[in-house]
Amino acid sequence: MRKPIPNPHFSRRGLLGTSAAGLAATSLAACATSGGDADTEDVEVGGDDENPFGVDGSAPLDVVIFDGGFGNEYAVKHQEMYNRLYPDAEISHLATQQIAETQQPRFAEGRPADVIDNSGAQEIPIDQLINDGELAELTPLLDAPSFDDPNVTVRDTLRAGSLEKGTFNGEVYALNYAFSAWTIWHDNKLFTDHGWEAPTTWDEMLELCPDIQAAGIAPWVYTGVHPVYLYDMFLMLAGRHGGVDVLKAIDNLEPDAWGHDSVGMAAEAMYKLWEDGYVLEGAPGLDHIQSQTAFNNREAAFIPVGSWLPNEQREIAPDDFEYAPIGVPYLEGSVQPGLISAGGEEPFIVPDKAANKPGAYEYLRLMLSQEGAQIFGDTVSAATVVEGVELDNLAAQLTDELVSNPDDLFQPQFRFWYSRMDEEVRPALGSLMSGESTPEEFLDRMQTVADETADDDSIEHFTHD
Amino acid sequence: MRHGKYPFILSFLALPVGLYAWLVLVPFAQAFQISFTDWSGSTNQFDYIGFDNYLNLFKDERFVIPAIRNTGIILLVLPLVTIAMGLFFAFMLNIGGRSRQGRIEGVRGAQFHKIVFFFPQVLSLAIIGILWKQVYAPPGFGGLIAGGLEAIGLPAPDNGFLADKDLVLASVIGVLVWSAVGFYLVFFSSAMASIPRDFYEAGIIDGAGRFQLFFRITLPLLWESVQTAWIYLSIIALDVFVLIYMMTPERGGPDGRSEVVGGVIWKYAFKHGEQAFASALGVVLFFVALTLAVVALRIGRHQRIEY
Repeated sequence: MRKPIPNPHFSRRGLLGTSAAGLAATSLAACATSGGDADTEDVEVGGDDENPFGVDGSAPLDVVIFDGGFGNEYAVKHQEMYNRLYPDAEISHLATQQIAETQQPRFAEGRPADVIDNSGAQEIPIDQLINDGELAELTPLLDAPSFDDPNVTVRDTLRAGSLEKGTFNGEVYALNYAFSAWTIWHDNKLFTDHGWEAPTTWDEMLELCPDIQAAGIAPWVYTGVHPVYLYDMFLMLAGRHGGVDVLKAIDNLEPDAWGHDSVGMAAEAMYKLWEDGYVLEGAPGLDHIQSQTAFNNREAAFIPVGSWLPNEQREIAPDDFEYAPIGVPYLEGSVQPGLISAGGEEPFIVPDKAANKPGAYEYLRLMLSQEGAQIFGDTVSAATVVEGVELDNLAAQLTDELVSNPDDLFQPQFRFWYSRMDEEVRPALGSLMSGESTPEEFLDRMQTVADETADDDSIEHFTHD
Repeated sequence: MRHGKYPFILSFLALPVGLYAWLVLVPFAQAFQISFTDWSGSTNQFDYIGFDNYLNLFKDERFVIPAIRNTGIILLVLPLVTIAMGLFFAFMLNIGGRSRQGRIEGVRGAQFHKIVFFFPQVLSLAIIGILWKQVYAPPGFGGLIAGGLEAIGLPAPDNGFLADKDLVLASVIGVLVWSAVGFYLVFFSSAMASIPRDFYEAGIIDGAGRFQLFFRITLPLLWESVQTAWIYLSIIALDVFVLIYMMTPERGGPDGRSEVVGGVIWKYAFKHGEQAFASALGVVLFFVALTLAVVALRIGRHQRIEY
């Protein structure tokens, strides 16, 4: 027979254990559905040009940066700027790629960060944040005097087309900080060596294709695994032919918008690239690293990507590689051949329940100063939405020429306005370009989902004005 | 009654049970609650909307319906193939060899084979995903299988296996089987080791071949292990999220051909900001898993043989 264990000691420990578990529980008790209701006041622009939002210099500032292609070094420098003005402000800086994973729970608790760079594959869907009323409107920031010149508002220091993407039904909810364009890239060195001229029209491009093939190079490559890289190419092809209204009609989910002749011709033209064998074999199975590596290796002549590509490839591309952009070669009879998908990218948002909203607005105002923009340009050699900051590389200068006419800047929005449209257009474009569906099937498919989205009463609808 | 026994036991149980309740049971319960709301996941406001999420689940032909179909296919194929292969290999490694002086043995190099087969089990699923993504790549881009097929003049998918709508699901199941079969080989091996050799020797004396040995002796005596394996594999089949996330185009593509329920829950919860809808799907999955386990345990009830 075993002896009973004497246990006052153990029961005390047991008690401790239990209470420890209890404590752990309470501190974790910020469960999903039990957040508080902290309502903060709206920020207004005061009379003080130095401190238009009435920032409390001792209030801490909570900044979250997407640590992607641009890194986060620039943000650290922006924060140094902020601390120069407000030395007592304690800034917490989080650089992460997991924006949704780290920030969504904080929104759910009602204690979000002050400034969030809501970007990357793990971004929080902005349409939902707006539907939920979780974002602060940025008009006070845009109407405030700019950092460099109190007589000019922040809005007036921005390049044309900067705010479009962050504007939802006329209200600005995101400040897209980087200025980029979707272009077709080619290697200037390769083209000069072979005596090829970068095409401006689709027909010129088609004429050049056999020559490119004769040199043992595929004319086109694209990122088949993420067909979203085709989105702007396709839409600009259609928009250049029929004018920007064709694309606005698509964004506005108008009935039969996809049935427009220009849209049909664009689909036909893209499909024909596959039919004629002008696309690198295997492209539908390539991710962006593989397709861009193939491009760097000069296995293909053209690739559709955004203007961040040369920076991204700086360390990887051969030394003599000369990244040069062109607009999508336009179809014959195009009425707006200069149209280009360009504007702000990299959305910075201010949560409506942010604890230090004035500080957040001030931080964004500093980012939009000449010095702030120069920091970004120097650190990541990419343009910001701030006007008047020069970059000294070929790709940036050529891109600047492509986006010089403000009337030709347009970013198609339906992909950002409606998740459902986004989820449909990507596979649909993928199927079109890999020859799995015909242009007619593609157009039918998109029109169907556009109609369904338009009829869906459970979501908010957006329109271009 | 021994004085103080319960406080002693409780002192050990309180912490683990408490943590389990808080971190597992409470979130489960919350998923039920959330599934009846319209909560997006990034706000602290929501309304109760009754069963709407559940009704809408089965109208979603872009994600939910294909996901249910694909998960169903995996649920059927994965346990069947894995268990069949695991049993076959285990049998070969333990009993399948030529009998030497009346002794039953496995094929030559059985120990070595066991280690080789078990190897994938050591790798994390994420690494397996990255590895096989490359193996399945297009022929011109280092795709081992497609390149190999092409080299010997057989038809290979131009764009690799994962970008092919008809091959993607089979490719993913192939990886699952590859990664699981080693574990079940060892699992069945150890179960077979407990079957007395006399049974086989008696069988051989009676003139039974290998097939008969397997189907008349091994399988019936392993039935409980097979059942356990079936439940484990079914649970793996209901998940599969990691491989889909790591390997397939657009995490469920091309064009939705490899969407699985786990992946769709993630997409709705974190990409589309529809936590409530995702929770509803999670609740459905919970009941399916529960039913499956109960059914599997009930149906296969056999009489235990003592030996």
